[in-house]
Amino acid sequence: MNRRLFLNQTGVNLGAIALGSLLARDSASGAAGLPAGLSHRVARAKRVIFLTQSGGPSQLELFDHKPGLMKWAGTELPDSVRQGQRLTTMTSGQKQLILPGIAKFSRWGESGATVSEWLPHTGAVADDLCFIKSMVTDQINHAPAMTKFLTGHQLPGRPSFGAWASYGLGSPNRNLPDYIVLISRMKRPSDQPLYDHYWGSGFLPSRYQGVKLRNSKDPVLYLRDPDGLPRELRRGMLDGIGELNRMRHDATGDPEITTRIQQYEMAFRMQASVPELNDLSDEPESVFELYGPDSRRPGSYAANCILARRLAERGVRFIQLFHPDWDHHSRLPSWCTARCRDTDQPSAALITDLKNRGLLDDTLVIWGGEFGRGVAGQGQWDSPEAGRDHHPRCFTIWMAGGGVKAGITHGATDDFSYNVAENPVPVYDLHATALHLLGIDHERFTHRFQGLDYRLTGVEPAQVVREILA
Amino acid sequence: MSSLCRRLFLLLSLLPGLWAFSASGQEGGVNFSREVLPILADRCFHCHGPDASHRKADLRLDEESEAKRDLGGGLVAILPGKPEDSEVWKRILSSDPDEVMPPPDSHRKPLDARERDLVRRWIAEGARWGRHWAFERPVRPPLPDPSAHPVDAFVQKRLAGENLLPSPPAPPATQLRRLAFDLTGLPPSPEAVTAYERDPSDAAWQAAVETLLASPHHGERLAMWWLDAARYSDTDGYQGDAERTNWPWRDWVVRAFNDNVPFDRFTLEQFAGDLLPGATPEQILATAFHRHHMTNGEGGRDPEESRIDYVIDRVNTMGTVWMGLTLGCTQCHTHKFDPIEQRDYYRLFAFFDSIDEDGKAGTAAKPYLKYRSPQADRAVKEMEAHLATLQPRVAAARAAAEARFARHLDSQVASQATGYRAWRPLTPTAATSAEGTTLRIEPDATIQATGPNPRQDDYRITLPAPTDLPRVTGWRLEVLPHDSHTGGKLSRGKTGEFILTNVKLLVRRKGQSQVRELEMAGAVADYEKEAKTRAYGKVRDTLDDDPRNGWTTEGADATKPHTAVYELAEPYRPSPDEELTFVLFQRSTIGDANIGRFRLSATDEAGETVRGLKPSPLEDLAAARPAKADMIDPALRKRLLDQFLLDESAYQTELATQNEANRQLGELRKAAGDLNVMVLAEKAEPRQSHVLVRGVWDAKGETVSRGVLPEILPWPDEKTRTRLDLARWLTAPEHPLTARVVANHVWQLLFGAGLVRTTEDFGLQGEMPTHPELLDWLAVELVESGWDLRHLIRLIVTSDTYRQSSDASPDLLERDPENRLLARAPRFRLPAWMIRDNALAASGLLNPALGGPPVKPWQPEGVWEEIFMGRYTYQPSVGPAQYRRTLYAFWRRSSAPTFLFDSAQRRVCEVRQSRTNTPLHALTLLNDTTLLEAARVLADRAAAEPARGHAILSRHILSRDLDPAERAVTEREHQRALDHYRVHPEAALAFATVGQQPSPTPESAPAIAAWMVTASLMLNLDEAMTRE
Repeated sequence: MNRRLFLNQTGVNLGAIALGSLLARDSASGAAGLPAGLSHRVARAKRVIFLTQSGGPSQLELFDHKPGLMKWAGTELPDSVRQGQRLTTMTSGQKQLILPGIAKFSRWGESGATVSEWLPHTGAVADDLCFIKSMVTDQINHAPAMTKFLTGHQLPGRPSFGAWASYGLGSPNRNLPDYIVLISRMKRPSDQPLYDHYWGSGFLPSRYQGVKLRNSKDPVLYLRDPDGLPRELRRGMLDGIGELNRMRHDATGDPEITTRIQQYEMAFRMQASVPELNDLSDEPESVFELYGPDSRRPGSYAANCILARRLAERGVRFIQLFHPDWDHHSRLPSWCTARCRDTDQPSAALITDLKNRGLLDDTLVIWGGEFGRGVAGQGQWDSPEAGRDHHPRCFTIWMAGGGVKAGITHGATDDFSYNVAENPVPVYDLHATALHLLGIDHERFTHRFQGLDYRLTGVEPAQVVREILA
Repeated sequence: MSSLCRRLFLLLSLLPGLWAFSASGQEGGVNFSREVLPILADRCFHCHGPDASHRKADLRLDEESEAKRDLGGGLVAILPGKPEDSEVWKRILSSDPDEVMPPPDSHRKPLDARERDLVRRWIAEGARWGRHWAFERPVRPPLPDPSAHPVDAFVQKRLAGENLLPSPPAPPATQLRRLAFDLTGLPPSPEAVTAYERDPSDAAWQAAVETLLASPHHGERLAMWWLDAARYSDTDGYQGDAERTNWPWRDWVVRAFNDNVPFDRFTLEQFAGDLLPGATPEQILATAFHRHHMTNGEGGRDPEESRIDYVIDRVNTMGTVWMGLTLGCTQCHTHKFDPIEQRDYYRLFAFFDSIDEDGKAGTAAKPYLKYRSPQADRAVKEMEAHLATLQPRVAAARAAAEARFARHLDSQVASQATGYRAWRPLTPTAATSAEGTTLRIEPDATIQATGPNPRQDDYRITLPAPTDLPRVTGWRLEVLPHDSHTGGKLSRGKTGEFILTNVKLLVRRKGQSQVRELEMAGAVADYEKEAKTRAYGKVRDTLDDDPRNGWTTEGADATKPHTAVYELAEPYRPSPDEELTFVLFQRSTIGDANIGRFRLSATDEAGETVRGLKPSPLEDLAAARPAKADMIDPALRKRLLDQFLLDESAYQTELATQNEANRQLGELRKAAGDLNVMVLAEKAEPRQSHVLVRGVWDAKGETVSRGVLPEILPWPDEKTRTRLDLARWLTAPEHPLTARVVANHVWQLLFGAGLVRTTEDFGLQGEMPTHPELLDWLAVELVESGWDLRHLIRLIVTSDTYRQSSDASPDLLERDPENRLLARAPRFRLPAWMIRDNALAASGLLNPALGGPPVKPWQPEGVWEEIFMGRYTYQPSVGPAQYRRTLYAFWRRSSAPTFLFDSAQRRVCEVRQSRTNTPLHALTLLNDTTLLEAARVLADRAAAEPARGHAILSRHILSRDLDPAERAVTEREHQRALDHYRVHPEAALAFATVGQQPSPTPESAPAIAAWMVTASLMLNLDEAMTRE
């Protein structure tokens, strides 16, 4: 009887019996052939690459084309559309005057998807993408909205999506963590800090938390041995530690010691595998040409996209990129376009690259941020200085690969890109769908904490968005 | 069956229910509250429990009268004595998917054979009802053996029932080490271990217990528990994550534990010290407990929404810490399992709803207490003393540097060339644009824009590294007018002005695809338009990746050239196989302002040359042409000296150390003044509290007044008016939960796990106690001792159960892998903070001072910067402050101290620590500077007495000597290291130069480095980080 069968038969609640620590031991011991997880059905995706765009990208400038808005330009948003929607205190005092999308749009590919001229590379791969234009959240401020987008609940403390996924799936890679986070390096102080609870493990064991791969001489904290300690001495030290720990194990009988020996060995392997992963010198020139000039600059979003593909090749389950600074309250023509230039070519290149390598079929790629932006201009609406405030009632994300239909658009907003007109997709449904693609039934995937069975999709009924499944 | 399955099966068979089952099997009669109620709660209450909104079929099984009433048509859910006529039993047995309970779509697992049997027997035995065990007031149970120690009496009774014996006592050194870690979080001194090994009598044990309980470090150890529960942090947590100065509260906690303040008093002051008659500042300070929640100052957020979050956080924290109740559930709906209505929740909420706060964060998070810490002066004096030791070193380094300067100046004067220029023009080999501008390189290295004139553009200028310069310290951009530009000005845009939004300087080595970015320390220009933030003007804003600001000279004469100078953060040393690319981004909002003509230059001069636009000191020297050095104008000489000193690395290092110490001294002095501590204070006019529909902050339902949980312990309204009343209710002798929960916390501190494993949940979904009678006995003892925590601790650590060996035989391990029976002492990894404290103490680095402003232990560079893109920089504490206990480490909520690899996160209250075992821990302990520095200090000791080196290390790190087999291993690795370092003394020097320790002499370095390897090896042993 294998573990999966056993778990299914007993319907056992993972957390209640601290299975996490057992799994941790097991996966560390390298017990081959045991699926370290809880698959409920056939998985279409083996891994996720989540391209998180922090700050709230404007659907009106990027994807949700509303040419009809021109005739409303500068007029007040009708109450029938607004329906009492809250505003942030940044614009709640001002008139809500309509600012039509300022970017030009084209139809792309056979699917004819509408994508802004600000994202020409994304447009060029539109036939591989599935746009969801009817995303909905209920949070209007960044930290709660991003916390909800990534953990299912607006208050910090729950496990992140990636932590749930690595908890459920375990890792096929013995030399790298299951869940890796990459953050674009940017010089300006961010208005939206990227809290580590966005990739935290919450009440799940900490081994499931995302490990941040840093753009520094220590890509993982404490990875680098100190100056003057060569690798062969480190090896000797670890041999000594292992031998003495085994003696201690024989004396005390504590199985935790065996685990510790294995973890120290994995640490040693990581000291080789992470720098190897991080070193792009074995990538041909053509790769950098594909991902664009910024990909030559370590720490850039583009370079991180190449790393994401390398991590996918190495079997890492959940790879999450963060690109900050999409909070465009002003100056869309300079500010928003800057973030588009950072991300457009590399995001599209990642899709092309995965596809060329046969990895897109079983890699689920998600692009999106915590909410959208409102149709009213913030500041003087007809000035180039104008921007947009936060908007929770509709926003656009795209997905690709991993069992998602390619070349479709799901859901639609009203004429104002204000309310969802068809097929709303709340954040929970996105999570349920992504878990489904990973072969996990979100309703059965629970962890008991403080007396409650928690799940990523929370207490509201969540549904898999079947229409987008390939 | 695989071994894993077997383990899992064994684990399942050890679930608490089964133990209870076997226990009841012996005594006959099913126990409702321990055996049946948990099943009903888990499988039935979700739809047939307290929450009316989710109730199905109008049936509730959480109340006896409802469960046994006639449902009509002769149906009764539970008919005492007759399982076969009870609908509950029929539905459990049913094979019809529409009938069976729990229904398949509920995702609640069906009852297994054991559970079915319990339910059937319970009904057959008459379905006697009762309450959940934890909601009944604890009654002191009789001791099974009045002559035995109470703890042992209960534990051994249970063991006897399982046919098990307790383990023999642990070796004396292990016992003392265990005790020292548990009571103080620090290891015993080698001397104390030796003394106790010589006389391991009970009297000596009692004396050791008293010594450790009386140690000021005891209060620190308990405080770490309490800080996690209190979600204590030095920052807000959200958005800007602004700093707060609530740390005097932390010192209040340490004092309270060291003074052994009774727990009911401790509770009262933290809940309502401000309301006590004639409240002292310390009593008001205590109430900071309820202000340690995260605060959100995010722009655009409604402060009232935040305020509601804070009130909710207080209620939930109180529920978890004092009562072991998951009150958070009832924020949105009546509890699905425990008898707590949503309305009850908001009556508790009302106690905290009228705090004189307005939901703001940062420095506006009133109410505040103005408070001066009595423990800050010590830190100031310590830093002043440290500075005094630095000053002579700086002066000596300066004197040496000045002597070198005099010689340097002589040679400069002798070799000066006429027409010396600090800046060399850079001749590009390629100049391209992103959006279509044609860039023409002219013979004098200027670049002229021609052809298309797009709205925005980026210029990329590439050239070989200028190897004619020994180094590049900065570069210069000259923006030049030209006749082909609008009005002969600076650009071809409509206005003739230019806007430069960002610049980058990239280095690419030949044959490599990736580039390296050279950081810039600053930028200056001959003219900048006056600009507020996020507008175009300042050249410094071209360094921040933000297209909404940048450099323009608008307002100056645009027919004249303008110049910007950039200083590199680190000098760049040109290499013949490298090329440089300058990228000029021109991405302003309106655009049409691309530079028309420009030239790039570089210099190797440091200091004012790359920080200003005047002629450089060396240019002025060349112009002055003095015949001898002493003829140089004093002002110029000073400028030349300042520039020279920048390259004197020994002096710069000393100076930087002193500057940092001075900066920290300034911070400490500020911390020694009046501080704003966030505390509780009541609004003059209380707010009207409401039930919040579905927990939504602005969905106000019915109004509620203050009140307590009637199902837990009803109290009349006149006794539940203030926070004082609330605290008194919590610690009332008849309260069923608080004493049990607190006794369980104490047990967890001493055994690594509570008697109730779910420390945070004593409700129906929590686990049953492993030793219910022992828990109740301890709870009653706690109350009757006057809530004397120290008494309880003393009692437990003097038991044989506490002192027994933690070794586990394979049989025992199979039978009881989680050690629920306590046939052995627990063996578990120390919390991360204790591992650090242990390294400091074992090495002798520890600075044992109590209290005061937070300190900053070593942490890898750049961690804060990454989160906030540079807004905050972490500067490790200098001097003795570096070696303070982890309790005092600055806690930034968005980035907890990195060396605490699996600690509580301090976002919300946490009362049970996770203990994980991952490669990231291993890396931390192998490479953290604190541990390496401790290894270095230990190495110095071992190297001083090499014959006893291994013994010195093991006595300090493991509190014992190594046996010969172990010693063979450490000697082998020591020899390996020594052999290496004798051949590579420079590596030895590098490895042994760590933290604030002075470098060893070159002669001693190999030996010290080898001992350091050995010490680090021992510090990384499982035993070194484990409480055995």
